[in-house]
Amino acid sequence: MAAVAHSVPYSIDARARDLIPKSKVLLVGAGGIGCEVLKNLALSGFRDIEIIDLDTIDVSNLNRQFLFRKEHVGKPKAVVARESILAHNPNVKIKAYHDSILSSDYGLNFFKRFNLVLNALDNRTARNHVNRMCLAADIPLIESGTSGYSGQVELIKKGATQCYECQPKPPQKTFPGCTIRNTPSEPVHCIVWSKHLFNQLFGEDDPDQDVSPDAEDPEAKINGENSVTESGNIKRLSTKQWTQDIEYDPEKLFNKFFSEDINYLLSMENLWKTRTPPKPLSWKDAAALVGDKTKKDENSVRVRDMEVWSIAKCAQVFADSVTTLKKEHANKDFLVWDKDDQPAMDFVAACANIRAYIFSIAQKSKFEIKSIAGNIIPAIATANAMIAGLVVLYAFRLLVEDYEKCPSIYLRQKSVHSKFILAADKQLTKANPVCYVCSPKPFVNVFVNVDKMTVKEFESEVLKNHLNMVAPDVVLDGKGVMVISSEEGETEVNNDKALSQLSIVDGSILKCDDFLQNYELTVAVNQYVPVEKDDPLFKVVANPEELKAKETQNGKENGATSSKDAESDEDDLMVVDEVAEDPQEGSSSKRRKLNNDSDDEDIVEVPL
Amino acid sequence: MTEQQLSTVEAELYDRQIRLWGIKSQERLRAANILLIGVRGLGSEIAKNIMLSGINSLVILDDGEVTEEEPQTNFLINQDSIGMKIADAVLVKAQALNPLVKVSADTSDLATKDPKFFEGFTMIIATRIKTDLLMKIDKVCRANNVKLIFGDVFGSFGYSVSDFQEHDYYEDQLRLVSKKRVLDATETKPEKETVNVKGQIVYPELNKVLILPNTKQSVDHIKKVKRRNEYFFLMLILLEFRNRQNRNPDIEHKEKDIALLQDIKIAVLDLYGFDHNKLNDVLFELVFGEVVPVCAVLGGVIAQEVIKAVSQKEVPINNVFLFDPVTFCGKEETVA
Repeated sequence: MAAVAHSVPYSIDARARDLIPKSKVLLVGAGGIGCEVLKNLALSGFRDIEIIDLDTIDVSNLNRQFLFRKEHVGKPKAVVARESILAHNPNVKIKAYHDSILSSDYGLNFFKRFNLVLNALDNRTARNHVNRMCLAADIPLIESGTSGYSGQVELIKKGATQCYECQPKPPQKTFPGCTIRNTPSEPVHCIVWSKHLFNQLFGEDDPDQDVSPDAEDPEAKINGENSVTESGNIKRLSTKQWTQDIEYDPEKLFNKFFSEDINYLLSMENLWKTRTPPKPLSWKDAAALVGDKTKKDENSVRVRDMEVWSIAKCAQVFADSVTTLKKEHANKDFLVWDKDDQPAMDFVAACANIRAYIFSIAQKSKFEIKSIAGNIIPAIATANAMIAGLVVLYAFRLLVEDYEKCPSIYLRQKSVHSKFILAADKQLTKANPVCYVCSPKPFVNVFVNVDKMTVKEFESEVLKNHLNMVAPDVVLDGKGVMVISSEEGETEVNNDKALSQLSIVDGSILKCDDFLQNYELTVAVNQYVPVEKDDPLFKVVANPEELKAKETQNGKENGATSSKDAESDEDDLMVVDEVAEDPQEGSSSKRRKLNNDSDDEDIVEVPL
Repeated sequence: MTEQQLSTVEAELYDRQIRLWGIKSQERLRAANILLIGVRGLGSEIAKNIMLSGINSLVILDDGEVTEEEPQTNFLINQDSIGMKIADAVLVKAQALNPLVKVSADTSDLATKDPKFFEGFTMIIATRIKTDLLMKIDKVCRANNVKLIFGDVFGSFGYSVSDFQEHDYYEDQLRLVSKKRVLDATETKPEKETVNVKGQIVYPELNKVLILPNTKQSVDHIKKVKRRNEYFFLMLILLEFRNRQNRNPDIEHKEKDIALLQDIKIAVLDLYGFDHNKLNDVLFELVFGEVVPVCAVLGGVIAQEVIKAVSQKEVPINNVFLFDPVTFCGKEETVA
């Protein structure tokens, strides 16, 4: 058809021009980058495209995900993106899946049908998984991401480049429990505490989210003894039970959390030797802290969301939101905190600022608190457009296997000093020879307390959460004993047993196999007992040397770029600082994650 | 133009970008009235991005007609609009991108426009025009404090040239600060603080930047820079080609057009005393048509510069941006 020829661009490799209309492309993600990539593919003459996304459309997507309009809010992204392109050009064949790419429906044979896979994802779990699927299927993958003004495009091709998991990524930032409960020093500590308070009052019960003073804080002890005579934490019925008994009386709640508990903290004198002690605040006193009294337009976005509320206003918002949430809670077992639910967000903003005031920490506007509490990564149309353009330019080159011409490209925010706005590495980044994913014989050391960790924890925390397996089968080497099976009903009996009960001890070797990912990993078990209360529950290390030398990584070819991983484009997990010693630490139950919400959130690294 | 405060609907819609550039920038954007000249491959990308950003109004000026090929490479044009004026044809889809922006079409010939027409805009974006017309518009812009950006995509190559005159901007910089008081003895990490820094860039007028052969203008100020990016000259060669032929290089006349480009290359490089070997003729194979993903890249770059110019937030490109059709790098080149 003559019309097709028009759309394949001139001025690119002539062999690629021939291949474009015959190639089959998988696009993973129909968000900010995905919409742009889909348009570029369709307008460049690609005729056979499949797109998958499990998300639905939200109002805050519309400033950049241009295939969607207001009337599409709530509908599946992949489906609407397809319809939008077909309305423009019905000659393109597009198959849309409103589904998770992690599903076992998309196995090796699914991936093998494509010439190219293009990632336009917003979370690390899916990126890791697609990385493994493309390695296993030996299909070239283009990985991409943006965050604010910055972005990155990277080729992943087995044998030619490093894989997505060759370099360890910094883990999600967590905070020591006693910082959150006893000694906050930054606004984020107060925000995390407030989200925990929300869950204590209205959410699902989680013992790791206690908000009361922690008398076990090692800093609070004098010569190893608790400075406070009561044993353990303040004895209360469950916080939720007590809250229900007092019928969510805002004044009583306020006095409990912001006055009585603070007085208790003050009694732990050791904590305040080098710190500014907190000032208890009663409901009555709060009402007097009205701040600037000039009349303001309460309907303006600036006043309502952008300015820092007075403490009196915080107290009022606290009372109002508690009343509203109490009603919502009456109809449900529990509420799930959501940044876009106004009373839930109001509650956290008010509590965070009251607590910040008590601890002499800077207070923030609701707008700023929402960024931190909701882990929002800013996203703009222009950066997505640039990155998506580069993705498809690289797609042309991959069709003719010009891998060497596809080094990573970085989009950088223009500054007075930078001349390169789009900067490419000089060459491909080679694979890490001991990568636990793409090396010929994947191997890791896991340091864990074999007497404490259960098989179930090992499966969910180590193998799934940390090592990104989806459905592992685990056999204890030498004995041939099946410890974990991906088939239901085979090994559940092991779930609550400690590893050592199944003879998994220091020096044991586990063969872990994920059939879906076509991935076999050998795990060497090392006995390790956390010493300090904030030590990680377990550690995962490809090469034990890594435990010592961490800082030497990250060197890039042209020295031009600071960040390795780019960033997602959606509402994701918040950006975190470099993490202290152990980039591979697991999430310890004693640490407070900033966010332990579901999978639409992501861990994102951003240049600091 | 007054900067009104944002409504709740706008705050919700633009949330993810307000978190990047701030509410003040968004208010400035929403007061901006923009003229876009040319809405083909590159123009439609620019239109999309600035419509999404939430400006006040956009006038799309293009006197061309929709050909059979246009809908294949321009996502704002449907196949049933062949024969229509392009500016009219893009209106429906452009408006659908953002119902809050006032968008209108102008199908008249740019050359016939009264200078007064240009005065009322906050900013003008020009694509696909000859340099004589560009210089005239730049003059009017300068007299009326209207910012101007000019850009094109030729095949896999693209560029932009800005004239923001005397441009004041604000930039957020991260600085390390020493802690004033010790809140936590165990805390040793230095604290970072964001500071708002003001800067100014003075742009040269475009007739000092885009100097072509046979204009009797001095190029000494441009020759002063030793290692000039070769793509700056590729841009000049293509502009001279368009001036002479009144069109872009066309794949239908590929050999003839490449021969002309080679002639023009000699004239341009001689004018600047630039080594002929440093601009490989193979590049001329890469300048036909408008490669859609390159339009996406340049459309992103140019729209971002428009946003910076209007919002006065962040450092803009000073003053030429050149997209390398071989490595896909994009570099700022300061000319004049």
